[in-house]
Amino acid sequence: MRTHFDVFGLPRAYDVDVPALEKQYRELSLQLHPDRVAQADARERLKALEGTTALNEAFKTLKDPVRRAFYLLKLHGIDLDREDAGAQKDMPLEFLEEVMELREALDTAMEKKDLPRARAMATDVEARRKAALGEAAGALRALEGGGPGADGQALVKKASHALGRVRYFTRFLEQVDAFEEESLS
Amino acid sequence: MSKNGYLQIHDPLKPRGQAVGIDLGTTNSLVASVVHGKPRCVPVDEGDSLLLPSVVHYAKDGGVVVGARARRLAPEHPTDTISSVKRFMGRSPDDAETRKLGHYRFVPGSKVVRFDVAGGTPVNPIEVSGEILRALKRRAEAHFSTKVEQAVITVPAYFDDAQRQATKDAGRLAGLEVLRLLNEPTAAALAYGLDKGSQGTFAVYDLGGGTFDVSILKLVDGVFEVKSTGGDSALGGDDFDRAIAQHVLQAMGASEPSPALVAEVLAASRKAKEALTDAPEVELSAGGHTQVVKRADFDAWIQPLVQKTGVVCRRALKDAGVAAGELDGVILVGGATRVPAVRRYVAELFGREPLGDIDPDQVVALGAAVQADLLTNADRQDEVLLLDVIPLSLGLETMGGIVEKLIQRNSTIPTAAAQVFTTFKDGQTGLDVHVVQGERELVEDNRSLARFTLSGIPALAAGMARVEVRFQVDADGILSVSAKEQSTGATQSITVKPSHGLSDEEIEQMLLDSIDHAEEDIQARQVREQRVDAERVLAEAERQLREHGSLLQDGERAAIDAAMARVRELSAGNDHLKLKEAVHALDETSRPFIERVMNQAITQVVGGHSVEEF
Repeated sequence: MRTHFDVFGLPRAYDVDVPALEKQYRELSLQLHPDRVAQADARERLKALEGTTALNEAFKTLKDPVRRAFYLLKLHGIDLDREDAGAQKDMPLEFLEEVMELREALDTAMEKKDLPRARAMATDVEARRKAALGEAAGALRALEGGGPGADGQALVKKASHALGRVRYFTRFLEQVDAFEEESLS
Repeated sequence: MSKNGYLQIHDPLKPRGQAVGIDLGTTNSLVASVVHGKPRCVPVDEGDSLLLPSVVHYAKDGGVVVGARARRLAPEHPTDTISSVKRFMGRSPDDAETRKLGHYRFVPGSKVVRFDVAGGTPVNPIEVSGEILRALKRRAEAHFSTKVEQAVITVPAYFDDAQRQATKDAGRLAGLEVLRLLNEPTAAALAYGLDKGSQGTFAVYDLGGGTFDVSILKLVDGVFEVKSTGGDSALGGDDFDRAIAQHVLQAMGASEPSPALVAEVLAASRKAKEALTDAPEVELSAGGHTQVVKRADFDAWIQPLVQKTGVVCRRALKDAGVAAGELDGVILVGGATRVPAVRRYVAELFGREPLGDIDPDQVVALGAAVQADLLTNADRQDEVLLLDVIPLSLGLETMGGIVEKLIQRNSTIPTAAAQVFTTFKDGQTGLDVHVVQGERELVEDNRSLARFTLSGIPALAAGMARVEVRFQVDADGILSVSAKEQSTGATQSITVKPSHGLSDEEIEQMLLDSIDHAEEDIQARQVREQRVDAERVLAEAERQLREHGSLLQDGERAAIDAAMARVRELSAGNDHLKLKEAVHALDETSRPFIERVMNQAITQVVGGHSVEEF
């Protein structure tokens, strides 16, 4: 299977040089884009459409550290974007407690229309999200590094739990955003 | 070495004529093309005006009038004269936008908007837009004395799938191959970018007659990357007119005004708005009523509308991850940005004076012409590339009427997404899919794009059949859907029923109808076009004979003269096919002579070498 890394001819790794990736994306777009073959036959145009679609998807995924982490995990067989994924139910108990506590606090703030409180929570959750992403990145680096003695399964589980939290925190922040937009308009 | 410039005689290898850019606007439409490396707008209406009012009048005898003349007919025939048709593109009769203050007669009980006009047959917005495009095409053809068959047509960045599809269909109806639907703010940026060779991040604030768009773009190494876009496809300068008209009608005490009065008051309001750009107050008269409108009053009336654009701009900046202070420039587009209150608001919003050195009415058409040139001219393709985005998220209806987003707004296009569906009943052979566009969580709050049924699924136990549905959005921002059953690999047949607008069959029928009705018309036009062509070829042949007669060989003169006489004779007749043949024959007959002329010219330029050496 052609991975997003293959599209850019990059080795599979968590760390990506984003400015270099952007430059390469522009160069590849200039070569592949349907605008380059607007007057060519239908087959050429379809090829350009498919090539550029794959390029855009790969670029979107690799330029963003969060999407990149989820993608690497998916390459290890765990797709957190699927609602029915077993990984969703597999989260540790402490995490569920954390979710309940945050949920309740946000609901209270929203009921009271307490925007400053919601904003303060968002700052705190943002920090937790950053820490969880750092944890996932560490596990994914160790996984892709593949040094001797690296316990693959344990690392996948660690990355999966950390990214499960990232995912939840992201949604939480989106809710605060929506609440903020609603309160201001 | 290029042969261009030597052989100017009719070239059968270039049958497509001039590629143009078209700004199909709510209030005015323009057509532009690149000539000698520069985009220029083409005169398209009375007095060599570059602006064609987007007004179409349907006469009792079935005739159609487009432009300034149609606009003059509006007060007397308000229901037979359609203006601002762009507002109705891809909309349903129940849309709030369709129900705004206006003076049309709609055909009741239709699932698409149909205007009841003189001449017998009701018309839909695609047909009305098709008339505007056809008028632009013809007038551009007359201007260039050549065929115009390929066009880039601009659309508001915030147009959804149905509105884009409707625009593309209107192009087809007018006999144009639509090379690309280009977002208006992106077109404007292209017009600015190429002139200045600039790099950086720009905001384009585009307030047209009926639509508002904002785009944040980054230009690096010749690649225009749209970072985000936002807008309101139901907000524009027309709403300013309506705001004035509502106050005037109120002052007149007209609670249920006639269509004619509404049309008159709207026209007077538009004039008042334009005059208020320079004057602090104006006198408005309509329907025997006169009142003074002060600029301060006007500013207050439109204030809520202008503020709506601010909310959209802030979200676009946020989506792009750009702060207002990081922008390298703000570009103003659209006639409504002439309103001083709008300019003030934009300057305040972005914290800088906006650029407006290209005429805001022309800038979109000029950019579209540049894109048409880039797409058709192989020599120019390395210069610049546009990477645009989809303005609104695409999603599917799931259990409980909740939307599951498949493609997020501001994704770079072309883009695709796939979703696997499983059956939920034993032996189930069909699945219903509902595609929506928008940002809201509930299906009913978004725009319904299409419903379709996946049929022919193999009858298996519940959950065993897996159908992968693939959604592809092309570079025009238009969606297409395909499906594959995963266990058998069978491709599914999909019938997509557009929720609003017209089905493919209806579009086909419209195309056929327009051909039936327009056959005589087409015939006459083809004769005219062929005559223009013939005249050009004759003039050129005469010139070459005059200037390079010494290069003629024995008997050649007589043959060329005979071929020219045949062309002259058929030019007087009405058979364009025979005329075309004669022009071709003249080409063939004079070719050896023309080649000698060309060879000599090249030899003179390169100093004694023959063409074969190059």
